[in-house]
Amino acid sequence: MDSSTFSDKLIDFPYEHYKNTWDEMFEPNNRIKPSYRFLYNFLSKQSVSEINKLKEFSLKFFMNQGITFNVYSDEQSIEKIFPFDIIPRIIMNKDWEIIEKGIIQRITALNLFLKDIYNEQFIIKDKVFPIELVANNPYFLNQMRGFKPPKDIYTHISGVDIIRNNKGDFYVLEDNLRTPSGVCYMLENRQISRRLYPSIMPKKKIKDVSNYPQILYQQLASLSNKKNPTIVLLTPGLYNSAYYEHSTLARLMGVELVEGRDLLMDNNKVFMKTSKGLEKVDIIYRRVDDDFLDPISFNQSSVLGVPGILEAYKKRNVIITNAPGTGVADDKASYIYVPQIIKYYLNEEPILKNIETYQLENSEHFDYVKKNITSHVIKKTDGSGGYGMLMGNSADDIEIEKYFYKIKKNPSNFIAQPILNLSTSPCILNESMEPRCVDFRPYAIYGAEGIKVCPGGLTRVALKKNSLVVNSSQGGGSKDTWVI
Amino acid sequence: MLSRVANNLFWMDRYMERSYGLLNLIITNYNSTLDSGDYSSWNGILKTYMNIDSLEDLYEYDDAISIIDFMLFDELNPNTLINIIKKSRENARGVQEHISKEVWLSSNKFYLNISDRLIRKKFRRSDPIVFLEDLLNFNLMYYSNADLTQERGNAFGFMNLGKYYERTLQSVDFLSYRFNDLTKNDYALQESVFWKNLLLSIGGYQIYLKTYKSIFNVNNIVELISLNEFFPRSIKYSLRKLSVHVSLLNKYNNKIDNELLFHVKKLDNYVGYSSIESINEIELGTFLEKIKSDLNHIYSLITKTYFSQLY
Repeated sequence: MDSSTFSDKLIDFPYEHYKNTWDEMFEPNNRIKPSYRFLYNFLSKQSVSEINKLKEFSLKFFMNQGITFNVYSDEQSIEKIFPFDIIPRIIMNKDWEIIEKGIIQRITALNLFLKDIYNEQFIIKDKVFPIELVANNPYFLNQMRGFKPPKDIYTHISGVDIIRNNKGDFYVLEDNLRTPSGVCYMLENRQISRRLYPSIMPKKKIKDVSNYPQILYQQLASLSNKKNPTIVLLTPGLYNSAYYEHSTLARLMGVELVEGRDLLMDNNKVFMKTSKGLEKVDIIYRRVDDDFLDPISFNQSSVLGVPGILEAYKKRNVIITNAPGTGVADDKASYIYVPQIIKYYLNEEPILKNIETYQLENSEHFDYVKKNITSHVIKKTDGSGGYGMLMGNSADDIEIEKYFYKIKKNPSNFIAQPILNLSTSPCILNESMEPRCVDFRPYAIYGAEGIKVCPGGLTRVALKKNSLVVNSSQGGGSKDTWVI
Repeated sequence: MLSRVANNLFWMDRYMERSYGLLNLIITNYNSTLDSGDYSSWNGILKTYMNIDSLEDLYEYDDAISIIDFMLFDELNPNTLINIIKKSRENARGVQEHISKEVWLSSNKFYLNISDRLIRKKFRRSDPIVFLEDLLNFNLMYYSNADLTQERGNAFGFMNLGKYYERTLQSVDFLSYRFNDLTKNDYALQESVFWKNLLLSIGGYQIYLKTYKSIFNVNNIVELISLNEFFPRSIKYSLRKLSVHVSLLNKYNNKIDNELLFHVKKLDNYVGYSSIESINEIELGTFLEKIKSDLNHIYSLITKTYFSQLY
């Protein structure tokens, strides 16, 4: 048993900042930022073994509740927990208000963009958005041309990834407008925080996130003109890495969790097979990608979807959320144009900044990036999950050369961004506090009553030292996020 | 409720019930080998529960501890405890929105316990009976949680359908393979230990003593296990419960076509109006065979009615 207090330990092993990086809790001289003082006071009074106990408690909590995701290796599927760090990330209300407004602005503009791009295409005719980005975009669905979804809403659920640079400014890294995941970790992380900090949490008036499922339900129901529409959540199934989330959301919303094989089409209407017989489905919150949604319209080999469902959707017999084809607005190439999109449709300046982005098909950009590769990251425009990236500061010459060879073959598939020093937040590691890079994903739900942003979100942590990759599949973890 | 979900709930409880039966059997058989030293008693269990024809197929398992270890932890045999619990829990994982949080947690905890890396080591170091009884507690926790927290309705109905279907089948199997012992081992008639263990392994020792006092004979045992309406593991009791839940499910799901209910009630009545004399007249083996074949038919009707209807 280590009975020394945590503050003793921090004196022996002072917090070592990453170079030229904004830390969420500590000033560069290791003073505690005002918003974190109450938390620090609490933690520093605990003994090291008590801190260890809190950590163990959280691990057991996730295991016993079965809050796991599946990882595939050698054809075997292993259930893992998403590592949780007990120190919450705190966002002050004044910062939150900016984030919230910024997200509402972005999502509003991107929805107008989607409606335009699938209908009149004014933005292309006005030469604000290049036609090539539509024509060559694998996420653009011709099947959606000329179709306006109910209430003109495309992106009912979005998760906007936000990071902070070394000055503490917020930047949008990515708009996830397809089927963003992680929201159940936001909910579960709060549940565990309540248990870890019973003495300090209630006093702090932390904004509540626990009604997310209710708001989601109401927003989804608002899309239909029916009084009590039948809503289902469509999951790829038990072996999907986000299955726990699908099942949790279905349980908390009180809706059926269905797989493609539970649904069947009759006369362009969607039904689910129940023990009573067939029951008509009105709204589908799908967590299946566009490609797998309908083997007739998209990927023919898909067994996850429902043949003919797109036709039912276009005949307005069922509502699908998010609408098919939203990927055209959130891929890495369209991202570059979001500031122009906001300006074009809303005539407003963007509230949240974009990271400077270079298109590698542009030869000037290409040369610039090649010259300054050590300070840049190159991403595939259709990549996600942190795969297929080149981090210029850590790759060796051969890797870089190979990567540029790939780019030259199809330069429009790649973009580059300066490597930002993501802000860090202290984590309990090796019985002490060490900085680790974090990002932040708040969730916005768009329904007939407008856009609601849940006051909180998922803070993901890159648990490997000096790593910037926060994805759960690649050594990431998460923290609770308190908006105070 | 989705048909797929109903099917999962049915199997979730079938597997859970199977694990409960298996554990009880292992405990008492182990107990009895302590007295008799007769390892051949494992043969019947391995055959019925593990689909293994004889101990010789398991040459490396030559003592009770190794045999138990095999029945609990072998990953390759689909009928071992660990695999049954995995399947039960996998079914539970697929229907979390339909079972109470408590039921899910008790299933998950059972699974986590038995799939712990160190569990085999722990088994080798513990007294087997204490260890097995600890495992049995997970079953009891599961049942009490289901009883106390699960909403009465469709989900509860399908869980019970699985539970009582499996239990009926188990009691039939139990009598079938013990039937050989009962008739062959005449010498055992004198040995109260044999009877005691036999009854203990199906949880009927106390009720037997109350009903028949200390007079052990084959007829009384067959009567207790097949026809006693107060013994919760008897065929009669389990069938009655099965029929109650089929009626309820029919009601919940507005089923007008009552083919399933008809056949369950018919079997229920057949056993209900049987007596030990009528069983002896046609012989126990025939009696059990008839029940088993009716149960098979009932299972196909359950599937047809609830799990994979034709549209």
